Amino acid sequence: MMQGIMDLHHDIFFFLILILVFVLWILVGALWHFHYKKNPIPQRIVHGTTIEILWTIFPSLILMFIAIPSFALLYAMDEVVVDPAITMKAIGHQWYWTYEYSDYNSSDEESLTFDSYMIPEDDLELGQLRLLEVDNRLVVPANSHLRLLVTSADVLHSWAVPSLGVKCDAVPGRLNQISILVQREGVYYGQCSEICGTNHAFMPIVVEALSLKDYCDWVDSHQF
Amino acid sequence: MAAEASTLSEQYLLKGKEEKTDVVSKPVEVKAEEKLVTAVSEEAMEKAEETPQLVAEEKTEDTPAAEESTEAPTTDESSSEDAPAAAEETNEGAEENSGEEAAEEKQGIKLETAPADYRFPTTNQTRHCFTRYIEYHRCVAAKGEGASECDKFAKYYRSLCPSEWVERWNEQRANGTFPGPL
Repeated sequence: MMQGIMDLHHDIFFFLILILVFVLWILVGALWHFHYKKNPIPQRIVHGTTIEILWTIFPSLILMFIAIPSFALLYAMDEVVVDPAITMKAIGHQWYWTYEYSDYNSSDEESLTFDSYMIPEDDLELGQLRLLEVDNRLVVPANSHLRLLVTSADVLHSWAVPSLGVKCDAVPGRLNQISILVQREGVYYGQCSEICGTNHAFMPIVVEALSLKDYCDWVDSHQF
Repeated sequence: MAAEASTLSEQYLLKGKEEKTDVVSKPVEVKAEEKLVTAVSEEAMEKAEETPQLVAEEKTEDTPAAEESTEAPTTDESSSEDAPAAAEETNEGAEENSGEEAAEEKQGIKLETAPADYRFPTTNQTRHCFTRYIEYHRCVAAKGEGASECDKFAKYYRSLCPSEWVERWNEQRANGTFPGPL
C-alpha cells in the first residue's frame, strides 16, 4: 500500500512541477515584458473568450488526470483480494495496545496475547527513541500479506504506522480490517492517532518486521 | 529453505532470469514447430499430422508457466494496482511465501488464517467474526461435538474474533442469552 501511495505522490508531483514552471514562466514573463519602463502605455484588454475557455478546460483536464490514479488507489486500498497469511488483532486500551495472534490456537483460551506499553523516559537505554519505544513490539514477517484487525476495549483509538501507509480507527464493538505488506525487514514506529484521554500521547506503536523464519521462531518461543 | 539462505537481491535476480528464459523459449519452440510443418511436403503428411499434436502438447506444457505469470498480478491488486514496478516485487514476495510456507509446516506452527471472504469485502469485519462464530456452533450442533468438519470454523473465528468477545459470547451461550441464531 505504501508503494501505491508513493507512486501516487510521484504522479501528482509530475503535474505539480509542470504547473509550477508554467505559472512562474507566465509571471516572470509578465513582469519582464510589461515593466513600466518598457511598456509605458498599459493595454486595456478586459475580456477574451478564447483564453477564458482555455484556462477553464485545461485545469479541469489536469484535475481529471490526477483523479484517475487517486481513485484507483483509494479503492485498491480497502479492497482485500489476497488471502492473508496471518491475522493479528490490535486492541486499544487506555492507554496501551494489546496484540493477539490467534492463528495457532487450538482452544478459546490459549492464544499468544501481550500488552505493549511505552517505555518510560527514565528506563530508556541509549539509542532508544523517547515516547516511541515499547516493551513488547508487534512482530510480523516481512513480504507476507498480513491482516490486522483493529478494535478497542474502551474509547476510540487509532492504530497508525506512517511508514507502512496505514491508519485505522479502533472502535469499541467493531473490527476494522487493514491489510499490510511490509516490504523489508525493520522496525517501524507509529502513535495512537485518535485523542483518547490523558495518556493518548504515550501509547506508541512499534512494528518489528522479521524474516518469515525468524518470525516463526519468535512465535514458537512465545507460545504458551 | 535454499531460498532463505540467499539474500533478497539474489532471489530477485534468479527469478528474473527464469522468467526471461521462459518467455524467450516459448515462441522459439512454437515457431520451430511451425517451420517444420510448413517445410515438410505432402509425402510427410503423416508426420505433419503428428507435429500439431506435438505443438499442442508443448503449448499445454507451457501454459502452467504462463498461468503463473498471469495469475500473480490479479492476486496483488490490493497492494499495487497502479504500481507496475511494485507488482513484480510483491509477486515474488508472494511466491516466496508459498515456498516458505511449505517449509514452515516442518516447524511447530502452520502459517494459515481465515481466508478473505467475499461476503465481507469491506473494512468492517465485525460480522465476519460473528458469522464464523455462529457457523462453528451451528456446525457443532448439527454434526456433534468434536466433528472434524467444524475445526476450520473454529480456527476462523479464533483468528478473527478478539478473545474478549469470544469469552463473552461463550458466557452468554452458557446462560442462554446469546443474541445470535444458533
